[in-house]
Amino acid sequence: MWLRLKVTLRDLPKWQIAVLVMWVGFIFLTIFGPMIAPYSTIEADPTSRLLPPSGDHWFGTDENGIDIFSRVLACPRTDIVIAVAATFLSVFLGSPLGVVVGLYESRKGAISTAGADIFMRLLEVIQSFPVFVFAMVLVAIFSGSLVNIIIAIAFVNMPVFVRLVRSEVLSLVQRPFAEAARAVGNTEMRTGFKHILPNATPTVVVQVSVTVGFAILLTAGLSFVGAGVKPPTPELGAMIASGSKYLIIGQWWPALFPGVTLGLIVFSFGIVGEIVNKVLDPRVVRDGSDRRRVLSVQKTSGKESSVDMPMKVMTTNKSPILEVKNVCVSAGEGDDQGILNDVSFSIGPGESLAIVGESGAGKTILLKSVLKLLPFPLEINSGSVHFESSDLLAMDRNQIRPMRIRQISAILPNAKSQLHPLVNVGDMIVGALQAHEKIKKKQAQKRAVELLTMVGITDPESRLAAYPHELSGGMAQRICLAISLMYQPKILVADEPTAGLDVTIQRQVLDLTKDLAKEFNTARLIITGDLGIAAHYCDRVAVMQAGKIVEANYTDKLFKNPVHPHTKQLLGSVQS
Amino acid sequence: MRIILYIGRRILFLIPQVLLISFITFALVRLLPGNPARMSLGPLAPESAIEAYNVKMHYNLPIPEQYWIWLKGIFTDFDLGESWVNGSMVIDDMIQRIPVTLEVMILALILVAIVLVPLAIITAAKTKNKIVVFFQNITFGYGMLAGALPDFLLGLLMIFIFFTNFGIMPGPEGRLGILEFEPPFVTGSILLDSIFDGDWELFWSGAWHLAMPVFTLAFVYGAPIFKMLRSQMEGALQAEYTTYGEAIGLRSRTIFIRAARVASGPTLVITGVVVMFLLGGAVLVETVFNLSGLGQYAVQAIVTADYAPIVAFVSFAAIFTMLVYLAVDLAHFAMDPRIKIGGSDT
Repeated sequence: MWLRLKVTLRDLPKWQIAVLVMWVGFIFLTIFGPMIAPYSTIEADPTSRLLPPSGDHWFGTDENGIDIFSRVLACPRTDIVIAVAATFLSVFLGSPLGVVVGLYESRKGAISTAGADIFMRLLEVIQSFPVFVFAMVLVAIFSGSLVNIIIAIAFVNMPVFVRLVRSEVLSLVQRPFAEAARAVGNTEMRTGFKHILPNATPTVVVQVSVTVGFAILLTAGLSFVGAGVKPPTPELGAMIASGSKYLIIGQWWPALFPGVTLGLIVFSFGIVGEIVNKVLDPRVVRDGSDRRRVLSVQKTSGKESSVDMPMKVMTTNKSPILEVKNVCVSAGEGDDQGILNDVSFSIGPGESLAIVGESGAGKTILLKSVLKLLPFPLEINSGSVHFESSDLLAMDRNQIRPMRIRQISAILPNAKSQLHPLVNVGDMIVGALQAHEKIKKKQAQKRAVELLTMVGITDPESRLAAYPHELSGGMAQRICLAISLMYQPKILVADEPTAGLDVTIQRQVLDLTKDLAKEFNTARLIITGDLGIAAHYCDRVAVMQAGKIVEANYTDKLFKNPVHPHTKQLLGSVQS
Repeated sequence: MRIILYIGRRILFLIPQVLLISFITFALVRLLPGNPARMSLGPLAPESAIEAYNVKMHYNLPIPEQYWIWLKGIFTDFDLGESWVNGSMVIDDMIQRIPVTLEVMILALILVAIVLVPLAIITAAKTKNKIVVFFQNITFGYGMLAGALPDFLLGLLMIFIFFTNFGIMPGPEGRLGILEFEPPFVTGSILLDSIFDGDWELFWSGAWHLAMPVFTLAFVYGAPIFKMLRSQMEGALQAEYTTYGEAIGLRSRTIFIRAARVASGPTLVITGVVVMFLLGGAVLVETVFNLSGLGQYAVQAIVTADYAPIVAFVSFAAIFTMLVYLAVDLAHFAMDPRIKIGGSDT
């Protein structure tokens, strides 16, 4: 975590560092503000009422003749202390409750779940009170002393933390570490508090940073309507309220200075919250400097692979369907090393080529370059990609679109996540058909049924209404196959076509793909980490490492007689 | 059929919850400092008059019994009690004030829908397009500002700039100018009622008076909606299904609409939260602009320890909140087939 903190701070944009410094300034004022104020912050001086800003009074004076600058300096002591104290109070009350509720809920017994259920309904009741009015009532009842305001704000924020911790507990309690903790003899509660709660900390801390900002606004808002901190205690909301009368008639300083200060405090807490989030949440990806890590692509080194490989087989003897020449890909400007380096190959009608390599070798990037689907920062710097005689790189999206699946078709990994989660199978296929030809919905649906039958799906009519989450992986893969082959394309490009399927299904899907491709005379470019697939289903194999094709040959020759050390290494890892 | 059962069950749940909320409020407000009898009859009233007053208002009875009487009053003749501060019936006040709050709230949501929603969708795409990048920069600034500006401060600043300095907008004088009279009551909305009355001059005055409060609310409370929609849309446009849609040659329009469908679910949920918040959060904006809506009503009632209006307001807010949540859940269910209704709904 310290490392992440360091990395985060180093990568912070300049303006965020400025905000961070400002935030530290506000914390400083919270502690020392009232001491360094040049004038008294509560003693009225009727002789100097409503003086505009000047050298003596930088922010002017208010209706009681008190120096506004001094009062503003003293305000964080009130506002920030109330907000922070209230937030921590709600964390310390809410988190244990959340742990207990979560634990009870995760139990099987009817009584404990019913108890947790009733508790959640009660929370719902508290939460459906309008927050602001609820806080007002609480403050009004228990008199507006500082402590009571803190308690009121803590109380209205508490349900957030109960809910948050509860849902964390519910998901963490099934994790192996929690089970292990129980297995070695910890009681349920002890497991909850000692092992599960610490794991929920990052989420809670992020919520704390959000809640503090909200609590500051709530404090100021309450005081603004006269239901929070009362004058003469220096407090921003109350100062804005008393200044607002004069703002309307043009004397802007009594309300504006505290107003801007309030905005800056909330703003700085918001940014600090984001920074905390970056430090604590590993899922947040910083953009810019480390997008390569995000794409998990190895660097091309350039020096490697001086072995002279039999590269002739990379080109087809027939007139090529797809021809890729010297393609280089990099992550936009300023990236001189590149992700793909000088990749060339071609495929003729009905042929099949496998590209194998470790994950991160750049296989998927290669496929996306061929399909012109590279994700945002990546771009093709040089080289060419030709489909028959047309130059794909010179065409724009609208020109390529009609060619997709009619001529160039694609299968992408994990079919279930490729299908749109909110679109059912029928609409998915009908949508694809209607994107490529003028066809009535009825007719398209009939075609969809035929297509599903083609890929061996039983009871196709009833499958049309199914959504992706209701399909098995194999079924989803077959549907993707049906879509990609519905126009008998010239070439099918497949990226890990069997990822996530179990072995028997893998085999069925691959056999089906092969048979249909043979039937339609469709060429296949298969990208896979599985050498077995390459060996069984492709005529030629190319090995990729760090963005380069290091060896290529006819399948049987390559497997019998690997030359490049990386190829040997890959084969070795299969055999061992 | 299942859905009807589900709605029925949710509404059934709502009854005990609202009863509980109203009872808690009913009991809480009686703890408010201040003696209603003394405050309404004045410091010189004799003890016997105080007692008579308490008997008349049932304040001498135990709280559960008072609550029971109040509850019976609602069901027998729509009686929500009486404000002892100005002696009016709470039900009449509510009918006067609910349209004011709803009007501002709905207009603010419409403003969010026609300005912020398209902006969020346009700026979600990762692109080098100059116009889009320009809008991205603007909305980046908006996101920063809207999170930090308290609504009452924004309201005050707008009054200062557009009323005090430039004099192009009306000041905080309420829904209409001081010398203007409200149109005959039909819906309670000044805009609608003036249209029904055919008084276009009044309509424009009403619209002009509402402009700044509506803008303030939309600016501050539109931010969570905007941020959620934008991040969801960003995610959807980078999701695998979007790439796949492009790979199989779907029209850009289809891809975009499908991404927007994914983004609209969570956006709707956060909109529900914002709507709930607007009801109570509009308090400050109503105070700043002097709009006689529900929020201002509640604030005045709390400050004066006026029991009946507080209970009525909180109960109304609770019912409103829960119905909004129910509507949001149902809409979310209709939009997303992955959501099972009637399962665990916590």
